[in-house]
Amino acid sequence: MADLRIDFAGIKSPNPYWLASAPPTNSGYQVQRAFEAGWGGAVWKTLGEPILNVSSRFAAVSFNGQRVAGFNNIELITDRPLEVNLQEILETKKRFPNHAIIASLMVEPQQEKWHEIVKKVEAVGVDGLELNFGCPHGMAERGMGAASGQVPDLVEKQTHWAKEVARTPVIVKLTPNITDITMTAEAAVRGGADAVSMINTINSLAGVDLDSWNTVPHVAGKGAHGGYCGPAVKPIALNMVAECARNPFVNVPISGIGGISNWQDAAEFMLMGATGVQVCTAAMHHGFSIVEDMIDGLNNYLDEKGIASVMDLVGKSVQRYSNWGDLDLNYKVVAEINNDVCINCNKCHIACEDTSHQCIDMYTESGRPMLKVREQDCVGCNLCSIVCPVDGAISMVERMSTIAPMTWNERQSLISSFDR
Amino acid sequence: MSDHLLSMDEMRQVDDYLERGFKVHYVYENLSGMFVEFGRQEEEVCLQILTADARKYFAAKLQEQTQL
Repeated sequence: MADLRIDFAGIKSPNPYWLASAPPTNSGYQVQRAFEAGWGGAVWKTLGEPILNVSSRFAAVSFNGQRVAGFNNIELITDRPLEVNLQEILETKKRFPNHAIIASLMVEPQQEKWHEIVKKVEAVGVDGLELNFGCPHGMAERGMGAASGQVPDLVEKQTHWAKEVARTPVIVKLTPNITDITMTAEAAVRGGADAVSMINTINSLAGVDLDSWNTVPHVAGKGAHGGYCGPAVKPIALNMVAECARNPFVNVPISGIGGISNWQDAAEFMLMGATGVQVCTAAMHHGFSIVEDMIDGLNNYLDEKGIASVMDLVGKSVQRYSNWGDLDLNYKVVAEINNDVCINCNKCHIACEDTSHQCIDMYTESGRPMLKVREQDCVGCNLCSIVCPVDGAISMVERMSTIAPMTWNERQSLISSFDR
Repeated sequence: MSDHLLSMDEMRQVDDYLERGFKVHYVYENLSGMFVEFGRQEEEVCLQILTADARKYFAAKLQEQTQL
């Protein structure tokens, strides 16, 4: 059995799986049930001045039979008084002293408001704080959440205010609703953040009802943009984590969030630089018990790889993530079709013929329809293998290049020396 | 002519000039592709390279020339 414990910016947790600040962490009852199920930590649903919510809050996007491929919500932060939440945090921490409880916080961008809430929350024994600069709806209209998180100076200033009085690690949760998340991540670090977490949800409208013409969801016939999360956002989140992980100015631990649904997703985020992960949509879809498979799967994976501690995964793929200009232009892969496995659906031929490089030929051999790739015309785009419905029917195989490796940047440097 | 055949032809022309003792003097690129000016003593020729594979190939040959 591998060691799944993590040390995240000084916050210790029995495993890397934390519930993200969201409906699953709204109350002590829920967080305690989550800890009983096996979750290593929980980021309590954001504390601040209690809000009012609307009815009809969630919507999901299904795709080709997969329910909840994406999830949209217009729920705001906690609607319960601070004292009620603090009492439940106190009780939960007392019952689960070795689990991580992080308080997510959101107040107006004023120094005294940050000081007040940090002091009150730390008094009940939380293990850390997460500043919510990411919530994209409702609170942003009031100058908080993503509205703060999109302005690097405000991120830096508010982080600094929290750090002025904080005794526990301060995590800054970043919004993806920005062109370059490393700008706000760097601002958080300049403000003294001990860690960053990403991503919060992405501005979204789940859909429009074609019968009523109402938005989905709607509130008495009106809608407003929500925050998108779930499996659909994972690639966006993974890129943002990786971009921060390889940025030398973001030299603090990263908590990965965004579409993490199983142990494989978690391992990918950790390989790309996350020290731990936070999960919400998968728990909302399947319940707290999914963490059992996440723990078992990660354990087995580490054992198979001969890795003693999950911390040894952190960042191992970061150096493999680079700029396009540093990729080898002369590296070559081509598609190879295994006609013994192929079911002749011809999806690869159609995809290649209509939308790629027209290099898959159809022919007949002994009366049997066959497909063959003309390697000299194949650019190695992967499209045929992506659309193929049969595992093993199309492989992308490396071909030794006859010319030496050269990146775009190397090429431009070389050619510029022959410019007039 | 297919892209592959065109690129093979362009690569052959690059090889041909180099084997005949031409050196690359100037290289520039624009919307029409890559233009390479080869020179040998008083003789100068300009080769337009259209295909992506041949432009990659030429860069590798240029690298070899600079390493000689």
